[in-house]
Amino acid sequence: MGVAGWGAGRLAERGHTMSDPLFNKVLVANRGEIACRIMRTLTDMGISTVAIHHAAESKARHVQMADKAVEICGETPVAAHLDMGQIIEIARNLEVDAIHPGYGFLSENANFAAAVAEAGMTFIGPDAETIALMGDKISARNFAEKHNVAVAPSVMPTDDLDDFIEKAAGIGYPLLIKAAAGGGGKGMSIVREAGALVEAARVASSEAQRYFGDGRVYAETYVDHPRHIEVQVLGDGKGGAIHLFERECSVQRRFQKIIEEAPAANLSAELRDEICTSATRLAAAANYKNAGTVEYILGADGRFFFLEMNTRLQVEHPVTEMITGIDLVRAQIEIAAGKELPLPQSEVRTSGHAIECRICAENPEQDFMPETGVVRHLGVPEAEWLRFENALTHGQKITADFDPMLAKLVAHGPDRDAAIERSIAALGELALLGVKTNIDYLARLINHDAFRTAELHTGFIAQHRDDLAPEALNETERAQILAAAFLGFRQTRDLIVGTPEPHAAIGGWRN
Amino acid sequence: MRKIQSMISTASPDFRTYDAHNRRILTEFREKQEAARHSRQQRDLDRLEKQGKMRPRERIEMLLDPGTPFLELSSLAANMAYDGGSPSASSIVGIGVVSGREVMIRADDPTIKGGAWYPLTIKKIVRALDIAIENRLPVIHLCDSAGGFLQLQSDLFPDKFMGGRIFRNQSILSKMGVKQLALVFGHCTAGGAYIPGLSDYNVIVRGTGAVFLGGPPLVKAATGEEVSVEELGGADMHTSVSGSCDYPASSEAEAIHIGREIVAQWERPKKWDCQRETPEDPAYDPDELYGIIPDDIKKHFDMREVIARMVDGSRFHEYQPNYGTTLICGFAHIWGYKVGILANNGVLFNDSSLKGAHFMELCNQNNTPLVFLQNITGYMIGREYERRGITKDGAKMIMAQSCSHVPKFTVMCNGSFGAGNYGMCGRAFDGRFMFCWPNHQIGVMGGDQAANTLAEVKINQMKRNGGVVDEAEVQKLWEETRSAYQEQLSAYYSTSQLWDDGIIDPVDTRNALGVSISASLNAPLGDPGYGVFRF
Amino acid sequence: MGFQLILDGEEHDVAIVRRRPHLVLRIDGIQHEFSEIGGPGDGLHALKCGKHPIDFIRASDNERQIIRLGGRTFEVGLTDPFSEGMESGGNMDAVRSPMPGTVVSIQCKEGDTVVRGTPLVTIESMKLQTVLSAMREGTVAEILRAEGETFEKDAIIVMLEPETEKA
Repeated sequence: MGVAGWGAGRLAERGHTMSDPLFNKVLVANRGEIACRIMRTLTDMGISTVAIHHAAESKARHVQMADKAVEICGETPVAAHLDMGQIIEIARNLEVDAIHPGYGFLSENANFAAAVAEAGMTFIGPDAETIALMGDKISARNFAEKHNVAVAPSVMPTDDLDDFIEKAAGIGYPLLIKAAAGGGGKGMSIVREAGALVEAARVASSEAQRYFGDGRVYAETYVDHPRHIEVQVLGDGKGGAIHLFERECSVQRRFQKIIEEAPAANLSAELRDEICTSATRLAAAANYKNAGTVEYILGADGRFFFLEMNTRLQVEHPVTEMITGIDLVRAQIEIAAGKELPLPQSEVRTSGHAIECRICAENPEQDFMPETGVVRHLGVPEAEWLRFENALTHGQKITADFDPMLAKLVAHGPDRDAAIERSIAALGELALLGVKTNIDYLARLINHDAFRTAELHTGFIAQHRDDLAPEALNETERAQILAAAFLGFRQTRDLIVGTPEPHAAIGGWRN
Repeated sequence: MRKIQSMISTASPDFRTYDAHNRRILTEFREKQEAARHSRQQRDLDRLEKQGKMRPRERIEMLLDPGTPFLELSSLAANMAYDGGSPSASSIVGIGVVSGREVMIRADDPTIKGGAWYPLTIKKIVRALDIAIENRLPVIHLCDSAGGFLQLQSDLFPDKFMGGRIFRNQSILSKMGVKQLALVFGHCTAGGAYIPGLSDYNVIVRGTGAVFLGGPPLVKAATGEEVSVEELGGADMHTSVSGSCDYPASSEAEAIHIGREIVAQWERPKKWDCQRETPEDPAYDPDELYGIIPDDIKKHFDMREVIARMVDGSRFHEYQPNYGTTLICGFAHIWGYKVGILANNGVLFNDSSLKGAHFMELCNQNNTPLVFLQNITGYMIGREYERRGITKDGAKMIMAQSCSHVPKFTVMCNGSFGAGNYGMCGRAFDGRFMFCWPNHQIGVMGGDQAANTLAEVKINQMKRNGGVVDEAEVQKLWEETRSAYQEQLSAYYSTSQLWDDGIIDPVDTRNALGVSISASLNAPLGDPGYGVFRF
Repeated sequence: MGFQLILDGEEHDVAIVRRRPHLVLRIDGIQHEFSEIGGPGDGLHALKCGKHPIDFIRASDNERQIIRLGGRTFEVGLTDPFSEGMESGGNMDAVRSPMPGTVVSIQCKEGDTVVRGTPLVTIESMKLQTVLSAMREGTVAEILRAEGETFEKDAIIVMLEPETEKA
């Protein structure tokens, strides 16, 4: 089963056939699972593919998949993938029509988008101005605020404490006060009611003065148990925009998402509508062109605030594809080619629930530190409801050269409970041996009661740290594991199976 | 093959009496064996420990693959010699599995007189190497010996089957392509130095292992040179300078580990294709053997009952069941190996001899190994039988047996007297292995018969000389003769002299034969053919 | 003869008790019978412990076996009590030349801390250059030959500080 199953049907009706491709040749300026994912749709659409790769990944899956692969140079593999000039040069030489940047690397680089356009090619993404607008926190925030998208109220640092207190009181509670120069929790406090504000501000300021020699303090709305909610949007670049509903990405470690789902659980229809509509509003206002994601922080009290807009395909886009049946990469390509949005908002429907787990080379028992190794065994469960997005090959070295994310396991179910059960089953069956991964940890996490009941927030992993530690092995389990290993070592296995008869049958007899 | 139907009642008074009797004998055997294996002077054990050495049996256990058998041979060798001064003839010999390969293991025993070789030690080593030659078994020597026991040098050095034979056998083994490995844990002095020297591979332990033709005292006496053991023949010198040794090891455990790795490099033997079935336990409990063998050697018992407790599924295809019934012949499987069994069920007559000879020819024709279960008082004597040609019929049986090219195995179950021993593959007939039960007796004739015979001769002599028979003197002669015979007839006496490959618990017979048959298949079958049968 | 396996940083004893009719292993003192032992090598296998079939996946990685069993992944190592090999234990303070020759270059200086395999000196003999390396961890005590100096076979070129008792 491939991604083509998702959305291909609905989009195919729109009449693109192999004989009439929107582009002849597209260069995918990325690697790993996302390069493979993009090339799959390109190939489905009859578009010829070009891969780029560093010498260290010449045997990678995306290289094998592409119609043409070109080596790129750089001091490090990552540096090579960030070398715009080199990539555009290759694209030009190969007479590429368009460049798809995937996510990460050059995907949100306005200069790259501009350079691609200048070189006479299509950048599959928004124009450089939009990328620049959304790429800057301040300008993005101001733009959002201007278009009536809620941003978290804050008070900028000031020396005038009284003025600060007055402005801060206007934000409402709870409120977070921090030292402007600070870090490490010094001079930081949460104010939950008006009566405590003055004292908290004074203490914070004096602490800030003491620790950092700078008494200025800053305040912003404090969101208790924040959830990370984001909305998938598609804009046609002419003011037309639709949303494909939201995703919840609250489960994070080291400030990075590891489990995403769509739709978000425990979200009232009104609130969902409010959030999604605000995202469409933002995209439309920006004349946004491409697939994009508007990220929000959602408090337990139902207040939500704009965080940022990602002007590219997200890692977690498959969960949206699975519930809406829309191929987002195809939509990106069509929009880039000047086609209209794939469907009007009124026709966007969702079905069931999807959960994505990011499979990372890391050790959850040691603060999720990245791990390296070699892929010695890869066993992937297969099901109609399952996507395993990866570019793994047997014998592949997992190094520290790239992001530790190895693959994504995405399961769909008729409802959230079913998606949970399927995810746990699939994680249990997934075997990636040779490098330590978070597979088992993810299965424990999804199986946790608080996840099942969707009591999610960005501090979930820290809150449930003890529960999520692996259970100690019992004697029987340990014996089974040791036996399985004992039967695997050449030396010990030979000793078991290499004994001649009748000696093996006679056993340890002494006369 | 049909299962033997046992006629034994385990509830019968005879069974219970015999069982108690034989278990007493077994206890005595186990006590002697235990003492021979473990009873040592404390100072010898202390010295070993101080040197950081393992006991020889610990070395063997570490060398063997875990959970595999070890068939120890001649555990009671020398038990009636040297006033018990050389238990197990100061040497451990047996067949086991190392790194998945069947091997002969031969270990010196440094807990007795520094591992010095007594005459019977040499006999035991030579026999071990003969077994290795006959069965093409690789040999692992665990060396730790002070050298020949000098007080008895005339009994261990000069003759054909004495000291030199060890090294002759080592050379022959090597010529045959049969591998040898020496692990040098202690000293290999004088002739002993040739054991690692003539082995294909050797490992020597630093600090305790040493190899030299003459030790430091001898060197000092001969040339005045003063030299340390390490300098003269230590591990580093031999592995880096002289090349006399191959691998240095830092400890005995490491030496054994290296030895196991060396053996793992050896090719697995190609055995000849003996017919083999899936093994099956005997249907009857081998423990019942104790209640089957009578408490008196004169009492008869049915050898089928013994066979039933030894062979796979207690199945036995009896050949000529109604002819020559004092010799049971037939086919069975032991640990899956097809064998032809010849078992005494009384004195050998003309017909039983002819049947035995014929049956052995069948087995040779079909490449079926032969197993002899001895309980034989001899060939029938008397005018009638001589007229019928008992001598030439016995000769046929001996001819067929001697010339058999299939491997032969002998178990002496109860008694072995006179020429019956020859026909039933006694020691002289190059059976591959020969085991003895602790109740067994062996001699040219029984004690009573010998005493009677000698008394008869004496009486005749007295009558010839003066006509008066001194009853007291005759009685004295009778008793002395019988007593001397009884001692020499015992299994302990014969095993002490290495007339067999060891006393075994009757219950262990099946396993001992299994290991032995398996070992025998390493050597190709001999050339078929016989001499002249006297018809 | 037993083996030590390492699982989750702890040593476990495993010994073969018997092979027929079923494999019996003694693991940390307790006997376990396996009526099926699965095939050799990497991949999906089945064990039968008593009457319970257990599917697992195994992959060999250097000196480890990686086992995925019951939806969890474990790494198991096998300790080698003789990992130091045959060269251990002897006098390894002296680095000697394996043949007569000339010192081409010296890559260490006195007082340097070295590990097994650290190049110390390059020598040339019979038109062949050879690097002499440290055969154990230690400190360079003395360099006995200068560049360009010649020496005989087995000459000591470098001395390491004598090994002290390992803690």
